[in-house]
Amino acid sequence: MFRRTLAITRKEIIHIIRDPRTLSIMFLMPVIQLILLGYAATTDVEHLPTAVLDQDQSLQSRELVEAYRASNYFDIQFYVSTEGELGRLIDDGQAKAGILVPSGYGRDLAKDNQASIAFVIDGSMPAVATTAFSAAQTVAQAQSTVLIERLYHIDTGQQAGIGVHPRVWYNPDMKSANFMIPGLIAMILQVQSTLMTALSIAREKEQGTIEQLIVTPLRSLELILGKVFPYVAISLFNLMEVLTIGVLWFGVPIHGNVLLLLALGVLALLVSLGIGLLGSTVAQTQQEAIFLIFFLMLPFIFLSGFFYPLEATPRVLQWISYLIPLRYLLVIVRGIILKGAGLPILWEQVLALGVFAVAMLGLGASRFRKRL
Amino acid sequence: MSSRILYVIYKEFIHIVRDPRTLGVMFITPIMQLLLLGYAMTTDVDHIPTVVLDQDLTSQSRDLIEAYQASTYFDITTHTSSEQELRRLIDKGGFRAGLIMPSGYGHDLEKLQGASVSFVIDGSDPTVARTAFAAAQTVAQAQSLELAGERIGLTLETLPGVEVHTRVWYNPEMKSVNFMIPGLVAMILQFLTTLFTSLAIVREREQGTIEQLMVTPITPPELILGKVVPYVAIAFFNLAEILIIGVFWFGVPIRGSITLLLAISTLFLLTTLGLGILISTIARTQQEAMYLSFFTLLPSIFLSGFLFPVEAMPRALQLASDVIPLRYMSAVASGIILKGVGLRVLIGEVVTIALFGAIIFGVAVRRFRKRLE
Repeated sequence: MFRRTLAITRKEIIHIIRDPRTLSIMFLMPVIQLILLGYAATTDVEHLPTAVLDQDQSLQSRELVEAYRASNYFDIQFYVSTEGELGRLIDDGQAKAGILVPSGYGRDLAKDNQASIAFVIDGSMPAVATTAFSAAQTVAQAQSTVLIERLYHIDTGQQAGIGVHPRVWYNPDMKSANFMIPGLIAMILQVQSTLMTALSIAREKEQGTIEQLIVTPLRSLELILGKVFPYVAISLFNLMEVLTIGVLWFGVPIHGNVLLLLALGVLALLVSLGIGLLGSTVAQTQQEAIFLIFFLMLPFIFLSGFFYPLEATPRVLQWISYLIPLRYLLVIVRGIILKGAGLPILWEQVLALGVFAVAMLGLGASRFRKRL
Repeated sequence: MSSRILYVIYKEFIHIVRDPRTLGVMFITPIMQLLLLGYAMTTDVDHIPTVVLDQDLTSQSRDLIEAYQASTYFDITTHTSSEQELRRLIDKGGFRAGLIMPSGYGHDLEKLQGASVSFVIDGSDPTVARTAFAAAQTVAQAQSLELAGERIGLTLETLPGVEVHTRVWYNPEMKSVNFMIPGLVAMILQFLTTLFTSLAIVREREQGTIEQLMVTPITPPELILGKVVPYVAIAFFNLAEILIIGVFWFGVPIRGSITLLLAISTLFLLTTLGLGILISTIARTQQEAMYLSFFTLLPSIFLSGFLFPVEAMPRALQLASDVIPLRYMSAVASGIILKGVGLRVLIGEVVTIALFGAIIFGVAVRRFRKRLE
């Protein structure tokens, strides 16, 4: 049995090597994803281009604008003289926020100790807008504190009040790369290998070569094993690639056990291979396989907590997410890499993944055998 | 000539209809994307699951916990009795923040007018962590102001200060779906057309049927046109699908001119079809075509500002995003749908899209013709 499996593996490797361009894309893809997710996938907005309409032109108004600039959230790039101009700058996207200091601001502040301003935010990108929204409030609040200190000669910053000492665990600098790169490892284990498995079998079907394999003494289990083996190897290679670049280039710390990560990575690959196998029994052509897997992977990626926290999604979607193996894998990979968690903490997730592996592989193999 | 094109279109339609499952997927995919992006992709972080370790157990400590709870940023449901227990809960991932009130907190606040607490934040998801970080500070700051006011005999309303009236334009509730739908419109246009065009042409090559087409009197431009027209039709159908569901289900307002959006979309299709044809001249197998399509699509999605703000990226990627056509289409779609702006504001983007289209489509058709000869 072992020899026959090896023969199939050799045949599959010849197929792969004959198409060096696809092979190099397979190896290059994780690097591109790494660069994009490591550098581009961040919602950490600072230096938002901001326009100022200062109708007051007083000492106080300049002080406030300066406070906004000093907060680092806002980059005062434009000074305008009319509201229309401010609107135009935000309309065509040059400015994302606008500070409107009405005339009389300085006078009100001197007389009543109270004054108000208007703050315009471009809400079309909510991630940016929410940050700008709270920063606008925080800066004004800090300004108010300064005012109180001045008026009543008390030092609110030092003596009175509640000091908060935030400690950020696992990822103290809150770097996006530290969050995205473990996620990418999980995604590569899940998406690429599923796609490759489904395609390699669908291709034999489309080209009619699967019949030739059936008339050989090969058993279906040997056929499956032999075919998927090279893709398991490629996936593991990709995993090492991402891990190496992540650690050496992006400085992602690995707090946990790498061997445990690899072992659970293999478990995750079993799930992917099962899904790929299942997909190949449904699809007749490569195109169909591509779309079927793509169709499956969409909810996988969006409902697994890969980009956005699951807690923020509606209840129904949270329930669905329990059916998505990537969800458990993400907790495992992030847990091992970022939190240094081990099996005592992750056993529930590992168990869930194991159940998926058995179910998917069993279902995929039995359907595949029937079709043959 | 036009009847020959019609035959190619007819042939391509037969291909498509013969594979009803793929056709079904083509039509369902945008709906699914819309539902997923509309519901799952929400960056507004609130009700962060938080665990509390109150070693003080005074009315002051309860006040602060109450203030955190009332801010709606934190969901305080669980109390623990030790730091180890708190650590274990956050390690497991069920909680993303922990508030530690040291014993003596109430006493310090009473006697010294100042006290401090520790706030533990799970930093692994930076989006959540940053919100939690800011909120932890803001709530304490507000509490401090109130305390200071009490001491000098002023209420919150009479306290000196600057009030900010924030107006959020275009998307006042900052709903994610309003932002996602314009991006999705642009992305669907690129994704489906590029992938399908390249697959449709490469399939003929892989199966060897392209030779049969070449010996017919069909000219290369006719062949290209005939092959892409069905996919253009599908792309527009998908676009309509998204807009209809977006407006009627998610209540996304369309403030600008739909005609203008359709016109610029058509212009943008030149780029995406060109990319598909270009890929088909490079790829020899469907698998290769698929990989190449994803290869072009990935940077497009990430660098277009569709998912992540371009301003937050490093300089080099910002420059790279300048040559991503999807970036301009994304800006056009969100400009027309959310901001209601017209051609006057968008003229720069439109000219860029036209330039990309002319160059990419031109190169693609030339290469395609060369390969056939």
